[in-house]
Amino acid sequence: MAKEKRNIKILRYNPKTDKKPHWKSYNLELDSELTILDVLNEIHWKIDGSLAYRRSCRSAICGSCAMKINGQNLLACETPMHKFKGTIKIEPLPGFPILKDLVVDMDGFFKKIERVKPYLILDKPTPIKEFIQTPEEFDNIREAATCILCGACTSSCPSLWANEDYLGPAALLKSYRFIFDTRDDGSVDRIDIVNDKNGIWRCHTIFNCMEACPKNIKITEYLSKLKVKVLENTI
Amino acid sequence: MKKGLTETSKTGAIAWLLQRITAVILFVLLIVHYIGYHMLSKGVGKVDGAEQISYEKVKALMSSPFFNLIQFLFLISALYHGVNGLWTVIEDYVSNKGWRLFLYSLLVVVGISLLFVGTMTILKVGA
Repeated sequence: MAKEKRNIKILRYNPKTDKKPHWKSYNLELDSELTILDVLNEIHWKIDGSLAYRRSCRSAICGSCAMKINGQNLLACETPMHKFKGTIKIEPLPGFPILKDLVVDMDGFFKKIERVKPYLILDKPTPIKEFIQTPEEFDNIREAATCILCGACTSSCPSLWANEDYLGPAALLKSYRFIFDTRDDGSVDRIDIVNDKNGIWRCHTIFNCMEACPKNIKITEYLSKLKVKVLENTI
Repeated sequence: MKKGLTETSKTGAIAWLLQRITAVILFVLLIVHYIGYHMLSKGVGKVDGAEQISYEKVKALMSSPFFNLIQFLFLISALYHGVNGLWTVIEDYVSNKGWRLFLYSLLVVVGISLLFVGTMTILKVGA
């Protein structure tokens, strides 16, 4: 494999010793086919073991390694180094409190997901066998159901940067996924939860979420559908 | 204007819907406004090679009750759309309660003033 010299800048922060985050520069000779996660591993394993970052599946499905790379929210594991020329700047996800280095506090994010009741609510008894849904019915939520909860969308939302109480795209998309699920009976409840100034109406169709989503979910489009649905149910 | 602002529901749902409706009205009426005042009202001869807008024709147009009604709808929609837009921006980005109250008040005063000026213009020019 071809080797190349690369300058990697990482926003480091240790709450015990640092007052605020600061950039640290690493000059490395790296295989050109590495991913950003490989690069972080390289630094963590060979240069500085104190570098903190989240990782798990390294196949873009666990949603652990979302971070801001050269200004974009991306999954480190599926982003090849050769996507960028020159210096690569790696920061934690914006909009969340930093715990250490690239690790952010996701508690608030997951609490917001919980608030929209991210599970099937049934009035009828649960079927003993499969819970049948036609392919057409499933098409409504097919894409929304592929969310891996990485936080890239919510972290990229300017409405959230301005108001941390805003539910954010990930939680709203989750509510969409159940409200538009034909098997679910809990949508009256959920619509009531998202029909709020800090719910769906804080979305100003900025499209950042859609651009950030590593699964290419058309989040803004679904949130617009959700707005119409909420209106239909409240007027 | 004031009534419209306080009537927006607590959730923001109605405000969002009205913002969309006024957007459509604005789009249509802006074209009507432009055709009426800038194209149909021409015809007093050319100055520097460009056809001029006639005061008499504009005045005639503004004495038509139907056109005045359209103008009033245009005024109301533009004011609602603008005031609600700024209201939302303030709600989003101004967290200090004092500043927020000040800016909301300013917005209402400016909105009502513009409504007054606009209505008087519509009523007086054609009369």
